[in-house]
Amino acid sequence: MMYEAQRALASPVRNPRMATVIGRLLGAAFLVCFGTGLYSHFLQEPQDWMRFATRPEYLYQVTQGTHIIAGIACFPLLLAKLYIVFPDLFAYPPLQGFVHFLERASIALFVGASLVQITIGLLNTYQWYPWPFPFRQVHFALGWVLIGLLVIHIGVKLPIIARYWSKSSGSGDDSGDDDHLVDAVSADRASHAEAVRLSGASRPGGVTGRVLDYIDATPQVTSRVSRRGFLTTVGVATTAVVGLTAGQTFTPLNAVNLFAPRKKGVGQQGVPVNRTSEQAKVADAAMASSWTLTLAVSGTERSFTRAELLALPQTEVRLPIACVEGWSQMANWRGVRLRDLAEMMNAAPETAFRLISLEQRGSFSKTQMGSEYVRDPLTLVALELNGETLDLEHGYPARMIAPGRPGVLQTKWLSRIEAIS
Amino acid sequence: MTRPDADGSGHETSRLGMRAHKNAVGPNPGDGSTERVGNGLNPPPAGITPSSGRRMRNIRLVLVGGGVLLMAWGALVMFDSVRPARIPGVALWIAAAIVLHDGIVAPIVLAGGIALRRAGRRITGTVVVIVQSGIVVGSIVSLIAVPTLVAKNFAPANPTVLPLNYGLNLGIFWVVLAAVTVGLSVWAFLRGRHPAETFPDDSGR
Ligand code: HEM
Repeated sequence: MMYEAQRALASPVRNPRMATVIGRLLGAAFLVCFGTGLYSHFLQEPQDWMRFATRPEYLYQVTQGTHIIAGIACFPLLLAKLYIVFPDLFAYPPLQGFVHFLERASIALFVGASLVQITIGLLNTYQWYPWPFPFRQVHFALGWVLIGLLVIHIGVKLPIIARYWSKSSGSGDDSGDDDHLVDAVSADRASHAEAVRLSGASRPGGVTGRVLDYIDATPQVTSRVSRRGFLTTVGVATTAVVGLTAGQTFTPLNAVNLFAPRKKGVGQQGVPVNRTSEQAKVADAAMASSWTLTLAVSGTERSFTRAELLALPQTEVRLPIACVEGWSQMANWRGVRLRDLAEMMNAAPETAFRLISLEQRGSFSKTQMGSEYVRDPLTLVALELNGETLDLEHGYPARMIAPGRPGVLQTKWLSRIEAIS
Repeated sequence: MTRPDADGSGHETSRLGMRAHKNAVGPNPGDGSTERVGNGLNPPPAGITPSSGRRMRNIRLVLVGGGVLLMAWGALVMFDSVRPARIPGVALWIAAAIVLHDGIVAPIVLAGGIALRRAGRRITGTVVVIVQSGIVVGSIVSLIAVPTLVAKNFAPANPTVLPLNYGLNLGIFWVVLAAVTVGLSVWAFLRGRHPAETFPDDSGR
């Protein structure tokens, strides 16, 4: 029965060369996701010794944009890969001892965890969270698990991967090493069909026999056409899902942004919004005339009203807001350099700061900023956005904007900035 | 529905991996062929040739060992950062993903492919492949687009989240895709009627 199933599943695209070709693309996409994901993680949860690059100022836009682009490319690639190796599900005997069991179990976990990882990642960008666990922690842990499983998988399959890595390793003709394999499959089908025909009335009995008979009566597609068709399909599908969503971060594709969860320029003052003042419950405190921004450095505190901040030297910068969810939006910001404020408070150059929002709850109501950002001339306490007073949804009365950091760390509705000793 | 030819190589073939793969091309292609598809993907043992064998085995051991460590670290991170009560939910989702794919999606794709080929009995294989391709591309794009429609129903937190008319966009996409698929199919069909000039291997069917 298992052999019959495998036979029915035979197809010119289900071969080790194709598994290698698609597998290495998928593996590369996983590694890119993991690398960019780790970068995003450590930006948000830095170890003490970590310092980050502040240039190019669109660095995080690129890394996280790439994370989501490569992540979305995983959908067609993973499905293609699973399509290729599907017959392995019916390997017979199903288990050949403990090592084989471990191998199959690791593959099952690999498949399941990969599907979960890309699904929760995608839905997270839609701000839809239908799962019973915390996204960030699970996505992070699964990232490690998946990379581990990927490395194990490569180790287990290494001889096959090595053998089928390059096209020329086999018979040398244009269609690759696996040709004989495929021809044999065709021959198999042809001979089976022939046998059925010759045997006349004695058609194969049983459900499986009938099903196989039905399948054998389908038109033959040559292996070359099948393979090219398959690769073209994967290529077109990947191009489509990426091309029709990447416009949310990659401006040249803005015009064909049909399916991304964000659209450039859509939002107050031309900038999309993530956390709203309503969600953060800050509207009253932010609009109060008594609002001040307090700076605290080694025991000294000083409070600034918005008017006082506006009276200080103003700097205009052009920086993107780049969200962990992969969208980004370039904008013009105007405000006071954080560096100037730090100097005014006599903070030592290597001082890191804690940024505190009016928001009482929420995981990013208090965040930290390393000295490399504090000292950067592009880092502002922003008071204006795209030529207007900062909208409440963008953090009025004052917010942070710094180069190369995720949006969650560009603290809105600032209330207090204190030196970390 | 037992194994058609019990030549005793069932176990051996898979153990020998690639070598068996080559040999089986010979006398009994009918039996060996599909098996090789499976076996080609099964783990062959280290040491295809004795000289490269030891190095290959060492590399593989390092990879498998390193992978196990990475996985263990991931598990540690999971147990460290996720409340224990939430972890069964993760396991459930992973199990459900396997069942959903292997038990539902894959068989449907398979049946669809067979039905399409069957329906296209009198058409050239190339046209069948093009139509199949169009359907697959449309399905994958729909796979990432349809959740936006669902998520939009839950009233996103603010109007800048999911701001597009995704239903309309998906409709436009399918129309364009269908037009391209039909166009290509007609082109391939016309070409296929003059096999000598074109796809030489397609005519040899
Ligand atoms: C195998 C593929 C993937 C791997 C290995 C991976 C890995 C990671 C890692 C390690 C992080 C950092 C988590 C943290 O900050 O603690 C991350 C963040 C993220 N990933 Fe992925 N990811 C993958 C696929 C995806 C996909 C397909 C999407 C969406 C289309 C996605 C969306 C996100 C988002 C939105 C974040 C930001 C989370 C946050 O900081 O709130 N990921 N990913």
